[in-house]
Amino acid sequence: MIPSGQPQPQKVTAKYRSQFRIYVDIMHVIQRENNEAKPTRILYGANLSHDRLIKYLDELKALGVIQETGTDDKVYSLTQKGIEFMNNFRKVESFASAFGFKI
Amino acid sequence: MEFIASVIAIAVAYQALRGYNLSKERTLLYLNLSFVLIGAGLLVDGLSDLIVLLARGERGFLFVFNLGYTINFLAQLLAYGLLVFAYLYQTRSPSSIALAALPVMFIQRNTLTELILIFLLVYVATQTAMNYSANKNVNALLVFGAFASLSIAHLFFLLYILIPTFFPLAHIAQLFGFLLLLAMLLRVNQPA
Repeated sequence: MIPSGQPQPQKVTAKYRSQFRIYVDIMHVIQRENNEAKPTRILYGANLSHDRLIKYLDELKALGVIQETGTDDKVYSLTQKGIEFMNNFRKVESFASAFGFKI
Repeated sequence: MEFIASVIAIAVAYQALRGYNLSKERTLLYLNLSFVLIGAGLLVDGLSDLIVLLARGERGFLFVFNLGYTINFLAQLLAYGLLVFAYLYQTRSPSSIALAALPVMFIQRNTLTELILIFLLVYVATQTAMNYSANKNVNALLVFGAFASLSIAHLFFLLYILIPTFFPLAHIAQLFGFLLLLAMLLRVNQPA
């Protein structure tokens, strides 16, 4: 219990990104890099730690929206399904933002 | 006019549902439900007008006209209440969210509820105006224009009790509002 009289710490309100938003951010970075992005690029672009990046890349691969290409260096690109998803997402984002809603 | 507005409202609802299915963002679900209510209300109103028109305005059918208008009015009251809730939900302010439930307490049509409906619409129009001033986007401008036009339409619906000239003007303003929403939908869905 915090004794009375002492200054209480200010409540920090952090807004966390949803898993969906992180997926979109990763795919957006890949698309921005001409559909060929190295893990380091994605890591910085999507602002993720290495462990979380590996986890999300595996999940996106399992969903069939990205694929791993390249032999020596790993390179990620969007699949046709991923490109279609991003096209749909852009429309939805534009629609929601017209009303002032964030997704 | 009601039929055209109804089809546009359902198209907006469908787009919001697509967005919800993709992102699972609740505000889009509220937007969908809101426009489903608006579309259904306008459809019922349009159908009741058509019935009265086909019955050539016989006195016995006038209650259908009133019933249709009342259903449309209540649907809009709930719909705009839901839209206000969606905007308040986004700010995650529980005390203010309770305010959005206010229209439910006045679930009957009279001058007071007409004023509450206009208040809700003005609130939504203000939110969309703030959104436009923040991102200066044409789609945001169209949505703001639509809700501003709908606010004016409902003000005219209220004033027509005193001055009948406002009745056609209200319908024109309402249709114009929905046409602006249609323009926004077409812009959003145009191929990149």
